[in-house]
Amino acid sequence: MEPRQPAAVTPTVGVALITLAIAALPLLTRDSYYLDVATTILMNLTLTMSFRLQVRTGQINMAHISFMGIGAYTSALLVTRLGLPFWATLWVGALIAALLAVPIGSVALRVSGPYYFLITFAFSEVVRLFFNNFFEDLFGGPSGLVGIPKPGRLLGMTFNSKLALYWLMAAICVVVVVALVRLDYSRFGLTAGAIRQADPVVETLGVNVFQFKLTTFVLGSFVAGLAGVFFAHYRQVLHSSDFGLEPMVLLVVFTVIGGTGSVWGPVIGTIVMTLASELLRELHHYEILVFGAVLILTMLFAPEGLVALPSATRRLLRRLFGRATEPAGARLAP
Amino acid sequence: MSIELLVQALLNGFGLAMVYVLVALGLTLIFSILEIINFAHGEFYMLGGYVTYYVYALFGLNYFATLGLAILTVGLAGVVAERLIFHDLRGKALNAFIVSLGLLWVMQAGAQLAFGVLDKPVPSAFSGVVRFFGLIMSVERLVVSLSAIVLIVALYLFLRLSRPGRAMRAVAQDPDAAALQGVNIDAVSALGFGVGCALAGGAGGLLAPVFAVSPAMGALPVVKAFIIIIVGGMGSLPGAVLGGLLLGGVEGLGTLFMGSAAVNMLGFVMVIVVLLLRPRGLVGGA
Repeated sequence: MEPRQPAAVTPTVGVALITLAIAALPLLTRDSYYLDVATTILMNLTLTMSFRLQVRTGQINMAHISFMGIGAYTSALLVTRLGLPFWATLWVGALIAALLAVPIGSVALRVSGPYYFLITFAFSEVVRLFFNNFFEDLFGGPSGLVGIPKPGRLLGMTFNSKLALYWLMAAICVVVVVALVRLDYSRFGLTAGAIRQADPVVETLGVNVFQFKLTTFVLGSFVAGLAGVFFAHYRQVLHSSDFGLEPMVLLVVFTVIGGTGSVWGPVIGTIVMTLASELLRELHHYEILVFGAVLILTMLFAPEGLVALPSATRRLLRRLFGRATEPAGARLAP
Repeated sequence: MSIELLVQALLNGFGLAMVYVLVALGLTLIFSILEIINFAHGEFYMLGGYVTYYVYALFGLNYFATLGLAILTVGLAGVVAERLIFHDLRGKALNAFIVSLGLLWVMQAGAQLAFGVLDKPVPSAFSGVVRFFGLIMSVERLVVSLSAIVLIVALYLFLRLSRPGRAMRAVAQDPDAAALQGVNIDAVSALGFGVGCALAGGAGGLLAPVFAVSPAMGALPVVKAFIIIIVGGMGSLPGAVLGGLLLGGVEGLGTLFMGSAAVNMLGFVMVIVVLLLRPRGLVGGA
């Protein structure tokens, strides 16, 4: 008998579940610590979902966090220097990130594989060093850019409390999740998966692979920019190290541990790992140690990530006990 | 600006560049044999630094003997890492890259727990300066550069003349053909990874007295090594030397015209320019 396939989680059900969970959380707790963790999860989720969009076409874009930084610094400067409202700079920041992604992506996507993640890493270092060392009166240099105000009023709503900011991030996150999940289940998602598996084959089928990859790069950067703008006005202070290698590696960890094969991978990975990170916070050095070890073990023993664990476990169980429970001769049956 | 100043700037740049070439050679050797990028390469460099700190600075063994010990120890650590972690990831660049990020964290956090977070100073083995043709170089940097060059030549001879070295080149060219000729791919992978790490360990030992030893010390050289191998062409050993000289020259000259932060960015700008003109690097093949 063919092993029964697990019921496919349809996109609508999945999105509805996530939205429900996000909406229900403030009913359970108004504690500012929990709201803070929840907001961080949503922000990370926005980033990992957009990061996975690019991983899906085989690009490990190590500069993803830089586009978050570009959005963050753009908005912070426009608000503090020019007095523009947050609601305008939210879009301007994301758009600037997307605009810069066009030339940068065009250069980086000329190469693939290891060259690609090295060139994007080189680019992210250029951006980080730029924020850290140049125009110190603008970017704040090593001591950071401080005094960024919280989002202003919109339609009579204020955004001073943790709860209000949670709702704002939730709104951004749900829109992004809905858009990216829909994209993943569309022809676009299929093409992306095909590119990852067999680049040249897809090319012969009439898909402009370069343009397709560039589109995912720019789209991903736009979303990262959005998250960055929120980050700037949520934390109210920016350091160049917020957009360095370590937070970038965290994004990779979140995405990969969840599993990049499914659109739900980053969701699971981000929630599990952010919670784990909060629980391990007391342990300090051990936190990084445990994260690193988990990353290595996941890649070695469950390269498909946590989403694939149920089917992987089932396979393992079947291999361990399957034969024993089958009656003798059953395998010979036609 | 006088010619002497220019030459002096170039000399300063080339001085440490030779050590970064060592790190880059290890990285590129591992890439050519296993087709993976080891992001944790700098952490093997860091291990070499700590061996030097404990054996040379604390225990008081001879500097060059310590260097040999650092190379051996780190090489052994590399073989263990290959056997335990990277062995099954040959050719899977994406997975190996992510695993190496994990290893980077484990080794860095491990070093913080084992050795403490503070910088540990290693006393200089050589003092004084040498002057020639109006140029100045500290004896320490001269010894460091020369030692690095000796190690590079040793690697070249090892790969050219020795049996295991030739096996490595064969695997780098075509693993299947090499296997058909009776080359033990598993052994060559482990040895190649070990030799690559040993080079990083040697570099760490060489630079330990120049900079202090700390858990995060691997970040700078590994970034320079990445620049060097991208510019030179990944998997190419002559490319790594060429890339190192270029980086050293550009950075050395750069210090004449701009601040250190801008100089740090020069390398990355070089990467972007080279990849625009020759995406496979200067010496890279098809």
